[in-house]
Amino acid sequence: MPITFVLICVLGLGVIAWAMSRARSAHFAPVAGKLKLALPGHYGIYAAIWTVVPALLVAWLWTFISPGLVHGAILADPAAAALPAFDFERDTVLNEAFALAQNPDAFASNPIAQQLAPAIAAAQSKFGWMGAALSVIAALAGGAFGYTRVKAGFPARTRIERIVLGALLLASFVAIVTTVGIIASLIFESARFFSMVSPIDFLFGTNWTPDTMASATSDMGDDLGAVPLFWGTFFIGAVIAMLVAIPFGLMSAIYLTQYASPRARSILKPMLEILAGIPTVVYGYFAALTAAPLIRDLAMAVGITNASTESALAAGLVMGVMIIPFVSSMADDSIAAVPQAMRDGSLAMGATTSETIKKVLIPAALPGIVAGVMLAISRAIGETMIVYMAAGASANLSANPFERMTTVTYQIAALLTGEGSFDHPTTLSAFALGLVLFIVTLILNIVALRVVKRFREAYE
Amino acid sequence: MSNWQSPEASARLKKRYAAERRFKALGLVAIVLSMSFLAVLLFTMLKNGISGLDWAFLSGSDSTDPANAGVWSAVKGSILTMLVTLALAFPMGVLAAIYLEEFAPRSRWVDWVEVSINNLAAVPSIIFGLLGLAVFIQVMHLPRSSPLVGGMTLALMTMPVIVIAGRNAIKAVPPSIRDAALAVGASKVQTVFHHVLPLALPGILTGTIIGMARALGETAPLLMIGMRAFVSTPPGGVTDPSSVLPMQIFLWSDEVDQGFVQNTSAAIIVLLFVLIAMNGIAIYLRNKFETRW
Repeated sequence: MPITFVLICVLGLGVIAWAMSRARSAHFAPVAGKLKLALPGHYGIYAAIWTVVPALLVAWLWTFISPGLVHGAILADPAAAALPAFDFERDTVLNEAFALAQNPDAFASNPIAQQLAPAIAAAQSKFGWMGAALSVIAALAGGAFGYTRVKAGFPARTRIERIVLGALLLASFVAIVTTVGIIASLIFESARFFSMVSPIDFLFGTNWTPDTMASATSDMGDDLGAVPLFWGTFFIGAVIAMLVAIPFGLMSAIYLTQYASPRARSILKPMLEILAGIPTVVYGYFAALTAAPLIRDLAMAVGITNASTESALAAGLVMGVMIIPFVSSMADDSIAAVPQAMRDGSLAMGATTSETIKKVLIPAALPGIVAGVMLAISRAIGETMIVYMAAGASANLSANPFERMTTVTYQIAALLTGEGSFDHPTTLSAFALGLVLFIVTLILNIVALRVVKRFREAYE
Repeated sequence: MSNWQSPEASARLKKRYAAERRFKALGLVAIVLSMSFLAVLLFTMLKNGISGLDWAFLSGSDSTDPANAGVWSAVKGSILTMLVTLALAFPMGVLAAIYLEEFAPRSRWVDWVEVSINNLAAVPSIIFGLLGLAVFIQVMHLPRSSPLVGGMTLALMTMPVIVIAGRNAIKAVPPSIRDAALAVGASKVQTVFHHVLPLALPGILTGTIIGMARALGETAPLLMIGMRAFVSTPPGGVTDPSSVLPMQIFLWSDEVDQGFVQNTSAAIIVLLFVLIAMNGIAIYLRNKFETRW
């Protein structure tokens, strides 16, 4: 395997360059009247960087070039003349041949693939070693260049620091690249979707019956109306879950900040935080295994006959519990940000603690609490596993919490893990749903962060 | 003129004190109910799963027969995925945090970086899965359902967490440390890497462990990049098809066979045990190395 070989060679050369430059610079006589510009170690590292970085860059670039070269070599092979002319069949045979070249036990139905496989393996190994050789040459050249720069008076340390700064800058741009990548991929795939289905049908249609096998030429808009999904997401994430999370989260925050002794607080708060650390798949399993049957039995007992094992209520309740610590810590922060003087003033007027909380602290902390709830909602509507396991797949435009309901995240997961082809509008609709979800959560987050910021400033 | 000792006044006072007690009790009830939910959840998993937790389960691989199925292949997949995530997210996160906290000039670019980091930390995880699917698999043609792609996707998700924790840790190092280093002639880079970073490291590590624990429990983005394959042999490397522990829980929870209820719960116990251990280490690190300046 050339990759291991390249890594060992290049790193070995780097160590050699480091040792040689270090040894060479150790004997530099101090230049009269000048400060010492770098320590021997700096010269060593400088030469090592010149050895390793260009070589690895060459090796990395080669991984992009070599598949094309291998492909070209294969098509020039005499056995390739027997390849079918049609693109699709040709690709299938070639894929089989490549798989066979990787792994001799792989299944290949086509005899041409079996003939081609040795040629592919040979070409891959040939171009692989060619890349390895190029990379080692780059290491030698870079190392030699770096070594020649090792002279008394050469500011190796400043140069290294410049490289370090470049690396820091590069690392911080990864965040921007990720954001741009998310937006670009969502918009690109959504554009493909909207070229097949009208945005109006998608955003305002009320019938969601995705069928990845339906012929793509027929009018898909009638089956891909996302309103039931938006409703299900809103109902589960912003209504049911918040009905649990807001009162429980707020009351626990009030108890922890206003009533609990510091000792009790130091035990209770981390325990509450455990709820936030439990993976969502565990909540989902609990919702499906325990909560949902319980809720169905309850519904049956009060006379709702059409209650199902999967229900919006089960998913929403469990999701609400998951969000409690989040709401609690946001409310905790906002209440703590209210100036002590306001609390003292109220208590001095003779109000009880609970009156102070209800009449002074909560109104004063309200903007922060509202922002916290918005962040909680954005978290709840982006949650996937609980609804995937407990809320069901059928798109229902209903306000009955005992019914099955589906959400945006459920459909994204279901559409993309299904068997549908990646060019089919039904599959692509997942990206359009993702775009809507991204925009909504983004708006919620931005507005909430603004509110929090303004609220903090008001009391500073 | 009102008299605070009149019967009406003391009745009113009694009512107010009763309201006070009710309110306090309500707060306690909210916490106790949340805790009891946690207790019921843990108890259910222990009751269903503890008897299935033996060496054969811990060392076995996935199987269609619940009696033979084990978690090792999924655990190994999780380990490989986390290694990829750590190798990418930790250096990038720390370097980005250093840049933003110590070197960044006030410019529009830097503002954009800050805004995107804060927003990325709040983007739903499934969106990262869509990104991984569209970029790593559709464009770059990396192997589907491999720990490599899973780890890269989770790294993008974990990086903002590390950056935010890292910035707070670096911010907490007092300026006098920097001034002292600069005063004896260290360069800015030397100051940061020799003095500020070692002091901030416990805080950064705590944030990293918490971010990694979150990534370890994540299922939705991995679902998107196809890590739901039936994997009966442990993956040999980061490019082999593989499963991860949360995904194994999800897959088993879908099985009709009753035997898988025990397996699912046992796998959940394993996952929660690892997560609690990780969080315990994070808390220990924070308490042990936290310096109050």
